Amino acid sequence: MLKQLLSFDAVDNPAGHPAPELSRTADFFVLRFQAMASPCELLIDLPESERARVERLARLAVKETWRIEHKYSRYCSGNRHERLHQQPDQWQDLDDETARLIAFADQAWQLSDGLFDLTSGILGKVWRFDGSDRFPQAEQVEALLPLIGWQKLRWQPATDNGTNKPAQLYLPAEMELDFGGIGKEYAVDRVLGLSIALLQQSNIHCHYSLLVNFGGDIACSGPRINAAAWKVAIETPDQQEQTAALLTLTAGALATSGDSQRFLLKDGQRYSHLLNPHTGWPIANAARSITVAAPTCSQSGLITSLALLQGAGAAAYLQQTGLKYWLVD
Amino acid sequence: MAVTKMKFATATHTPINPDQTGLPLKQQNLKALLASAGCALLAGLPNQVQAAELSDWDFEVATLVYVEADSRVTALEPVISATRNFDSETKLNLKLAIDTLTGASPNGATPSDQAQTFARPSGNGEFITRAGEQPLDDTFQDTRVAMAATYSAPLGRDWAYSAGGYFSKEYDYLSLGVNGSVSRYLNQKNTTLTLGGNISADTLTPEGNVPLGLSRVAVPGAASFATDFASSRGADSDDKTIVDLLLGVTQVINRRTLMQFNYSISTSDGYLSDPFKIISVIDDDVSGGNFGGNFQQAGQNLYLHEKRPDSRIKQSLYWQTKYQRGNSDIIDVSYRFMVDDWGIDSHTLDLKYRWQFGQHYLEPQLRWYSQSAADFYQRYLTASNFAATTEVSADYRLGDLDTYTLGVKYGYHLPEGNEAYARLGFYQQKSSGTSGIGKLTSQDLYPETTAMMLTAGYKF
Repeated sequence: MLKQLLSFDAVDNPAGHPAPELSRTADFFVLRFQAMASPCELLIDLPESERARVERLARLAVKETWRIEHKYSRYCSGNRHERLHQQPDQWQDLDDETARLIAFADQAWQLSDGLFDLTSGILGKVWRFDGSDRFPQAEQVEALLPLIGWQKLRWQPATDNGTNKPAQLYLPAEMELDFGGIGKEYAVDRVLGLSIALLQQSNIHCHYSLLVNFGGDIACSGPRINAAAWKVAIETPDQQEQTAALLTLTAGALATSGDSQRFLLKDGQRYSHLLNPHTGWPIANAARSITVAAPTCSQSGLITSLALLQGAGAAAYLQQTGLKYWLVD
Repeated sequence: MAVTKMKFATATHTPINPDQTGLPLKQQNLKALLASAGCALLAGLPNQVQAAELSDWDFEVATLVYVEADSRVTALEPVISATRNFDSETKLNLKLAIDTLTGASPNGATPSDQAQTFARPSGNGEFITRAGEQPLDDTFQDTRVAMAATYSAPLGRDWAYSAGGYFSKEYDYLSLGVNGSVSRYLNQKNTTLTLGGNISADTLTPEGNVPLGLSRVAVPGAASFATDFASSRGADSDDKTIVDLLLGVTQVINRRTLMQFNYSISTSDGYLSDPFKIISVIDDDVSGGNFGGNFQQAGQNLYLHEKRPDSRIKQSLYWQTKYQRGNSDIIDVSYRFMVDDWGIDSHTLDLKYRWQFGQHYLEPQLRWYSQSAADFYQRYLTASNFAATTEVSADYRLGDLDTYTLGVKYGYHLPEGNEAYARLGFYQQKSSGTSGIGKLTSQDLYPETTAMMLTAGYKF
């Protein structure tokens, strides 16, 4: 079937991504586009006759993804992320969405005893996980440590007591927030949620099912309309064999994290791209890949990261969560 | 293979006793904390499709106002439709319509150069039609209440069915019906075959009893009126049975085009005449002074009650194509050809174009309908042929007829999924036929009718 290119105004596509493609396989629609350095897919299980609705849905999904990408990108100017860092050492108001992400990151930080830390992204200035053996100098890492530590920033949730005071953040100078660790999973959940909401509001009376897949971070609305499971291929660490694990999904979300492409190799030892914010050095004995199934992609992604941060304790940690997981040592 | 190296694990769901694990409470509640964190992050957005989130009830209320030019007939029809959605494919639809018709409708007699006096169809009272005017039965006033229920549900993955019943009641008319359909989906639901059926049993109980076909219409003023009236009427009620069968194919042609073909056959048996319709008998004595005037017997104009065959078989073919353009506009074209054993052929062509403007749409409609007359249709009978007539009707709806409808519908989709719409339509009907004889040729035997329809509705 023909591929249909969806065009967007420049204002909705600040990163200048290529035009998204909408096509139809044997029995569902596929939307493919680029965002967050990943191939993004939305599979829409609706009959051919619903194409008009599907186009609306596709546009909504692309716009929302690109909106989140632009808002929290560390590489754009004039966006929310930049403005957040232009008011250091003072209290600043947060919009609702940023406040929710900060609250989520705060809980993650507490749950991980400080290992999950949005401020540790600054270490990316000295660590390059390109498969080489080039380690940074110890002094370079040391120099960044004072700028890391969630406990150094302060934030205040919005007050609901009638004063309607917005949430506030106090970010010390030179510290940086890196939403990269939660942004993609959050976008997956947003796209799925908005899509379901759109279909529900449009009074649709046929069965529908949706699956969002942003570079292996996946969420679905339920089983296919023919009651079958969605079949998803996820990447595994063995790049040589070019194989993928085939998973079936009938509800909820999956997120995978590992070092398939981002690692350093020295003296036969692999060093994971996950850095311990306390030391600035890679987590020892990290699993090569962890996939977790949870109700939402943000939850899956968070557990995956938290488990990887446990190093050798990942499997034990995952068992405590009661969630289904796949782990590759 | 990499997959074989993956450890697959599902953790037990046994709660972990904090005393045994010695882990900090924070980790004991990991799952609960994570769940709450995830929910707050999404601020209430759904992450699953749940049947319960489908709105349980959908309602549509609409009112139609129909006004004929010179206010001959006005109709008001409020409709309430309620649909209970059990799941996305299982639903029960209930519909209630009440319509009120008031005004005057042609009784079938021809206009005349003389005033004509008619008894009301009930036999009680009379009305006078002045010379040159259309004889209209001004007692045409009725309120109809109709209720219908339809249940539709899937039967496994590839089949669906529906079953329904309806009831419609007027002062002198009762209609009861049942219907059902079975659909089979093929080619991943790109093709749908439907077999449908409908049976209806109608009973009419006209005031003054059911007129006997071809009997003389009693004329007020005659000494024998009461006797004449009684002898023109039969039982107090009569009935008819209608059976319809439909075979349909709906096909998705490509990603923008949907096509439908239906064949249907309908049989009607029983009393198929209209108890309010009569026909004039015209004097065809070329040499007399009344050539083309009303033929008289016993000093009174002669009119006969119409008589139609007691069975009818209609067959129709219907084709519809809907095409959605790249800009979401929809073109909808349909054509129906109908033929019956009364000799009527009809063609209906309907064109609609829907412009989408964001939340708004505008849909102009053009409809053309044309039919040929029934074999037994005659505008009037003559003194020479009435006695030998076995079936006749002067009802314009059985004559040569063309109608045109020009409409425009405007709709607005509210953000919460509701829809408000209004439709304005203009309707014109033109009849044609023989132009009459003698004096009758100067009468307008085929008056045009124009009407305006306004519908306003709301779906929520």
